Amino acid sequence: MSKVNQPNYALLGEQLDQLKAETMAKVGQEDADHIRKMIVIHRVFEWSGRILLMLGFINPFLWLVGVLSLALAKILDNMEIGHNVMHGQYDWMNDKQINSKAYEWDIACDGGSWNRVHNYEHHTFTNIIGKDRDFGYGLLRLSNDFRWRIKNLWQFATYILLSVMFQWGIAYHELAAERVFFGKKNDTRKSQISAKQLKRKFFSKGAKQLVKDYLLFPLLAGPFFLWVFAGNFLANLIRNLWTSTIIFCGHFTGDVKTFSEQECENETRGQWYYRQALGSSNLKGGNLFHILTGHLSFQIEHHLFPDMPAKRYREVAPKVQLIFAQHSIHYNTGSFIRQYSSVLKRIFRYSFP
Amino acid sequence: MKSLINRFSRWGSRNLLHHDSLGGYFEPVIQLFKPNWRAGLYRAQVSDVSLLLEGVVAINLRVDDRWPIHQAGQHIDLTLEIAGKLVTRVFTVASSPNLAKTKNTIRLVVKIQPEGGLTHQLPVLTRGDWVNISAPRGEFVFEESKQSSLFLAAGSGITPFIAILSSLQKERAIAQPIHLIYYAKPEQHLLVDELNELSQQLPRFTFELMSRAVHGDVYEQLSDYINAKLLVCGPNKFYQSAKEFAKIYDCAISAEHFSLMGITESTTSEFEVSLNGKQLSLKNTSPLLNQLLTLGEHVNYGCKIGICHQCQCTKKSGVVKDIRTGQVSDRSEELIQLCVSQVLTDLELET
Repeated sequence: MSKVNQPNYALLGEQLDQLKAETMAKVGQEDADHIRKMIVIHRVFEWSGRILLMLGFINPFLWLVGVLSLALAKILDNMEIGHNVMHGQYDWMNDKQINSKAYEWDIACDGGSWNRVHNYEHHTFTNIIGKDRDFGYGLLRLSNDFRWRIKNLWQFATYILLSVMFQWGIAYHELAAERVFFGKKNDTRKSQISAKQLKRKFFSKGAKQLVKDYLLFPLLAGPFFLWVFAGNFLANLIRNLWTSTIIFCGHFTGDVKTFSEQECENETRGQWYYRQALGSSNLKGGNLFHILTGHLSFQIEHHLFPDMPAKRYREVAPKVQLIFAQHSIHYNTGSFIRQYSSVLKRIFRYSFP
Repeated sequence: MKSLINRFSRWGSRNLLHHDSLGGYFEPVIQLFKPNWRAGLYRAQVSDVSLLLEGVVAINLRVDDRWPIHQAGQHIDLTLEIAGKLVTRVFTVASSPNLAKTKNTIRLVVKIQPEGGLTHQLPVLTRGDWVNISAPRGEFVFEESKQSSLFLAAGSGITPFIAILSSLQKERAIAQPIHLIYYAKPEQHLLVDELNELSQQLPRFTFELMSRAVHGDVYEQLSDYINAKLLVCGPNKFYQSAKEFAKIYDCAISAEHFSLMGITESTTSEFEVSLNGKQLSLKNTSPLLNQLLTLGEHVNYGCKIGICHQCQCTKKSGVVKDIRTGQVSDRSEELIQLCVSQVLTDLELET
């Protein structure tokens, strides 16, 4: 295959558009059945988990199974169901419950806020420094695009803390960008929502989640209040660590590229695809692993086709890889261990000037 | 007590489960036991499908006891899952409320539309299939009075009259004379056997079958009925003739008319677009979002290239085209992205 330095953007755009059209034409009953099945599995694990947590007094082992079951449910809701439904991947179904307008996930972050920051800013301006706040979340220095500061010395600890509190980090993300509580407002940022509305949504969604997991369900358990309280805490923690880890593997591995605003002005469709390709990285794994990551193990395909039902990324991936090879675009994939250690190295490397 | 429980369950599902109703939250689980169960809709099971004529299908549905029985002349929304997609259309119930009461059965008589997303699926239905229906609604009902009535039907517009006439059957003798003029293409009149039977059972009911080719416009048939009360069901054009007559002779008129809005794509045109009830006039030359922003309408948006779904809104009715793929939408309710949608007919939008 001939080696070219710059891909033929027009051809790349055409090939990927064509691949999308071909795949979307196949989307139908199978995809509707898949998402409903995921919801059924979620409901079963959530309610078994919540019941088992209360039965910990019979045998602590039941409590442990309860924690894992609830954690699994929360991961499914967050990733394979919430993330994907809220991306509009199932809007074509016309289902009153399963669509991006109606769906609200079971985490501290208000769905509307996530839609704005993630669906719009992150997916449109992926890895453009200054426009995609997901690159380092305003907390971590992950490339030389950012000036080194003293606080970067301990950014590894910041990263661990962010992972532990991940749902709250995501919930606070837009408020940080809008400087709702601290800092000077960024004049170039245009918001369609007021600081007051942002605060109200942040507190109301956060409070609902706290009351549910740390007051209501523990109270229902009566004398076993603390068992349920601790179980819910652990389930949330497991989900936070899992989602944070998977998401970091999708954008912050060693080879992932960043872009400047100037580079991306008047970008064509092909150039947009190219940026998505270089700004994302995949994880190899089995089907169960893919489901638990919400198919974000196919981060590249997700960034090329954010509103394609995610399970379809499995069949699209080899074709994307072929197209990339034809244009000599690096297809960034690897095992979880390899990709994650590359992320950790990156966080560590940019702790220093 | 029941309303208290309802309120509590709604509060719980909204705040703890993030769904409008408990049923909505558990819907896919309930569907394992009750196929096609959907929160806010009723289930119905197909008990019979038959072709009345080429391109006209009659479907009998078994409704459950919770379904609020219709008044003769009312319609329902019928929803089918077609390749994973829920598609909805409105149909008049073509059977009497009594049949629903005694045998839990309603009948729909449907003309298969060549470009229809739903109607061409209907002949494929078989006994035992599940579908969803809404509660009945509509104001097109018959009230008995001393005044004589003229029913005007065209094509599949005969359906509400069949429901109305068969609902009169079992009740006391009707006070006023009823005459039906039924227009259709020659040999294409539907349910003529039933009309014959009804005219024998109802002494004061008479009917005539007509067609445009032979009898001309319906307007020409109306001169004998200056004092009658008109009930009209048919295509828009048919209704317009009757309306004109009613206006000139000051007759009472009640109507149900349908029109498939023509899709305009090739020429530059303006369409009536209702955005949250506000009437706007928009063109088919640029995406909806651009025009709404130019007009200063407050709509949410983001990337403007169809990625982020921020400008998503509910299209209650009308047809749009996705400018990226050229795909033309369905006519019924759907979510659309304003930034990549071109208007093809009048629209009703909700943000």
